[in-house]
Amino acid sequence: MGLLATLAEGAATSGAEAVLFWVFAAIALGSAVAVVALRNVVHAALMLVLNLLSVAALYLGLQSSFLSIVQVIVYAGAIVVLFLFVIMLLGIDRDDLLGTRTPVRAVAAVVAGVALAGAFLTVVGADSLTAASACGQLAGDGAADAVTCVGLDEASQDSVGFVGMQLFTRWTFAFEAASLLLVVATLGALVLGRRRDPALEDDLVPSAPVPDEDDLADTAALVADDEDDLATADVRPAEDATATLEPAADRDAPDVSESDDTGRDA
Amino acid sequence: MPIGYYFAVSALMFATGLTGVLLRRNAIVLFMCVELMLNAVNLTFAGAARQWGGADGQVFVFFVIVVAAAEVVVGLALIVNVFFRRGTLDVDAPSLLRR
Repeated sequence: MGLLATLAEGAATSGAEAVLFWVFAAIALGSAVAVVALRNVVHAALMLVLNLLSVAALYLGLQSSFLSIVQVIVYAGAIVVLFLFVIMLLGIDRDDLLGTRTPVRAVAAVVAGVALAGAFLTVVGADSLTAASACGQLAGDGAADAVTCVGLDEASQDSVGFVGMQLFTRWTFAFEAASLLLVVATLGALVLGRRRDPALEDDLVPSAPVPDEDDLADTAALVADDEDDLATADVRPAEDATATLEPAADRDAPDVSESDDTGRDA
Repeated sequence: MPIGYYFAVSALMFATGLTGVLLRRNAIVLFMCVELMLNAVNLTFAGAARQWGGADGQVFVFFVIVVAAAEVVVGLALIVNVFFRRGTLDVDAPSLLRR
């Protein structure tokens, strides 16, 4: 963290922040457009990784090295991996067969996006593009009503400690609520991951349960007829064992909860 | 670096994500676009935290990331379920409640 803090502070105080900003803002916007535009879902997911990493670099320029680390670990390390896992699991990693909607709706969507961007940029305004950061400037002037940069020095020095202090003193209740939310999400994913779909079970174990009873009856008849014929009696429990193993392997399906634990670690 | 540039980048990223949500029909790509929008908001929070001081913005980004993780977990489980039942990822396909 010390290296990152030094890097963040150096980037913020020198002209390096401008270079950092322009490079990674361009990458972030370009990859964001690529996420929307690319037809291949896997390529879109990889572009999302690029976007998240460049936003993490922008966090460094904003003296938020803790957020930068969390962004890399949770977003790029867990969430996008979950996306890719689901993409591979569903086997939709080829080109997206779902085309865009009708051309009128596509044009309408782009127009809505451009209009929203224009509205946002109007609100942001040209003034804030030229205004310097309130942090360094006004605090240095020593004005009475200057914006005091509470803790920003500490934030750039020891971002984890600073954010953690706020998190566990002022926002403790919210933190506990977030942990509860993660538990609920884990349970929800477990419940949703359990499949009771009979059609799908037929795909995995082709007509396993129904002939089993007939075979068991046959086996019982065989055993009753011929006690010495142990070979067929030995085969049946083995098949039953495989039949019961299949749902057990199924139950491992809610893999989503695993990466959720990763999210909680960060 | 003036903070308005960060806000502008965040606004453009949010608009891009919204365009993707309106444009694409694939549920997974739609979720990725929602992640784009969440990231744009996070960038605004972090920028405001630096501009006006204090750690509240950074703490909020932390919570947004937590909520996004939970949302992705449940949402992807839902998508997998819908895909197994319907055989498609088209968000227009599950329209059982519409009629």
